[in-house]
Amino acid sequence: MASSNMADASESIKKIQNQFYQIGYIASDSIATSIFLAQSLSKPILIEGPPGVGKTELATAFSKVTERPLIRLQCYEGLDEAKALYEWKYGKQLLYTQILREKMNDVMDGAKTLQESLDKIHDFDDIFFNEKFMEPRPLLKALKQKEGAVLLIDELDKSDQEFEAFLLEILQDYRVTLPEIGAVNATKTPHVFLTSNNTREIGDALKRRCLHLYIPFPSRDLEKKIIEKHVPTLNDDLKEQLINFVHNLRNLDLKKLPSISETIDWAKVILLTNVDTLDNELVKSTLNVLLKFQDDIEFVTTELPSLTKGPKL
Amino acid sequence: MLETLPNFIKALRANDVDISSAESIDAGHAITKIGIVNRSLLRESLAQTLAKSTDEKKRFYECFDLFFQTESIQEEKSSDSNGDDTKLDEEKISTDEPGNLIEVMQRFDESELLQLIASSANQVQIQNIRLFTQRGVYTRRILENMGIEGIEQILYTGSSEGQYDETLLERKNHLTELASEYVDRQLQLYTANAARNLREEILENTPIGRIDLRDFKLMQELVGKLAKKLISLHSRRRKVSRKGDLDIRRTIRGNMKNGGLLFDTIWKKTRVDRPKIIAVCDVSGSVAQVSRFLLMFLYSLGEIIPKVRAFAFSNQLGEVTEQFDNFELEIAINQTIHEWGMGSTDYGGALAELERITSSQVDRKTTILILGDARSNYGDPGANSLKRLQEKSKRVIWLNPEPRSFWNTGDSEMQRLSAYCSQVHHCRTLRHLERIVSEIARKTV
Repeated sequence: MASSNMADASESIKKIQNQFYQIGYIASDSIATSIFLAQSLSKPILIEGPPGVGKTELATAFSKVTERPLIRLQCYEGLDEAKALYEWKYGKQLLYTQILREKMNDVMDGAKTLQESLDKIHDFDDIFFNEKFMEPRPLLKALKQKEGAVLLIDELDKSDQEFEAFLLEILQDYRVTLPEIGAVNATKTPHVFLTSNNTREIGDALKRRCLHLYIPFPSRDLEKKIIEKHVPTLNDDLKEQLINFVHNLRNLDLKKLPSISETIDWAKVILLTNVDTLDNELVKSTLNVLLKFQDDIEFVTTELPSLTKGPKL
Repeated sequence: MLETLPNFIKALRANDVDISSAESIDAGHAITKIGIVNRSLLRESLAQTLAKSTDEKKRFYECFDLFFQTESIQEEKSSDSNGDDTKLDEEKISTDEPGNLIEVMQRFDESELLQLIASSANQVQIQNIRLFTQRGVYTRRILENMGIEGIEQILYTGSSEGQYDETLLERKNHLTELASEYVDRQLQLYTANAARNLREEILENTPIGRIDLRDFKLMQELVGKLAKKLISLHSRRRKVSRKGDLDIRRTIRGNMKNGGLLFDTIWKKTRVDRPKIIAVCDVSGSVAQVSRFLLMFLYSLGEIIPKVRAFAFSNQLGEVTEQFDNFELEIAINQTIHEWGMGSTDYGGALAELERITSSQVDRKTTILILGDARSNYGDPGANSLKRLQEKSKRVIWLNPEPRSFWNTGDSEMQRLSAYCSQVHHCRTLRHLERIVSEIARKTV
């Protein structure tokens, strides 16, 4: 039984890689494995890694592959329930109470004592706190999506610790409890992706409920494939030089290392300049595509000769 | 595999990978989905379900490779025959029949032997091994479980009858070697961190001045660890202290759009008190090492202690804040000690200089932290400067690395100086430092 399972698993993982390739996302083995596990165990994935390696992109790609809507919640300090889960439509409630004011007399009609009228109002007390007056925010939206959704909780490390605790129920049971309404279950289990840049340690309780995927900078081969996919017209020789250069840069002590998206941008720029080989002048003039700090650019400019001619690592 | 998983998790825990039971259940589920034959797939899946940070992942991969180095032999065997057969095999093996071992010894297939060793090791519960001194005991237990006594009996009777079976003896020795290698590996797996933890505990309580240079690296990691602990302890409190009362004025103003009905409430924010810390460190010979770790501590706590101005002195005093802002911690500390650490200490001069530089900035929010042994070489201890500084500041804390019984002996001016300190602490080990820094952090928020 184990062996048949195994064959299924590696086949499904191949299939996942293929599907992602079709829409332009090159998934490494570990990425594909975690997608497979997340689907078969229905667990959220917590993605960590340096900026610009495609953490957010993975969720976007996944929503394209599965053709489910992507619902994105960007975290920031001070993010709270009202912004993440739901809010009452106060304006609408106010308007309705004003309009219904006259109706009140009819409702109250016939009530003789104070107690009686109070009871009558009680029969209506929930009309202003039901789903008609509720403004669903990303989390609730994702749970209510009929065909299932891809929920991306981006940069979780930017939010407060309290918010993390608040996510636990959703991540474990795909359910939230609203005080006025009660528990809301997911109509169809959403696929949840959480990303973190590690500016703050994520709590153990949350980590326990997730698969943990670390995406490092890509290997040469993987990055070559990515460039091939995104800039197919670039010739092989130039591609080789370009990737070597970027990988050499990543070994330096820079403020911000060039990410995949920056490599792709740079490849496009190189393509536009229509050259056959990377020379120092060209690199110098286009360095600002790769590096985003003046200090880094200056540092690399002085090191250029050794970087372009240096031995391949 | 499912029987092996608990052992593997135990090994991971010994290697400082925190695993909850919920996570081990996940790992079990993942294995049933993935199967065990594709090793890299298994490795990746377990890494994602069990190791939840970059550090843990690194340790996980090391541990996985070590653990399944021995496991793989078993699996190779079991993939030859189908599952039921292996099970039977194991049962046969575990019956301890000496005859069985003799047969195996005649064939002397190393992988078969290793398999035997592994299954016997399971039976003697190798995962409970704790100390390296237990290696011999466990090796012997494994061998006995395999039935080595039978072999020994044959060798013994053989030698008494004058017929010496040299091949068998050689093979027996080889087997013993294999078993002890196996035990070594298991020991490494299950106790990888025990020794380290013990050493860290000792280091925490050893006077800093007496710590060997070779342990500095470990000490630095330790400071980092403690700093992390303090940050998580105090940062939460800080968040809480920010919450305030209802701001009625702004609530009414903000809700005008709702016809005066107070739907959106606006809360007062307590103004965050930005305390200032001035750390003054004696960096002359005797106290330099303690200063090093105090500075390391203070600057590792950047998240919860907002702004530290650092001064260093021996015979002269100078500000070193800039060094710490511009260079990496370790370089900055070395530079500081190199630059200011010459000469004998002059407390009078240093405190006067400190007063001159900082007096315009010291206010009721400032904590002045002085680390030194108060040995002024019979010169002016600078009590007057300290008095004026204390009057202006929130508090002055003096940390003295010497034991209390040494204070006020010889040229130590502790008594005179402590009159102008809000608190005086004996501060000698990392544990002391942690306690003091924690208290400072608590009072700043």
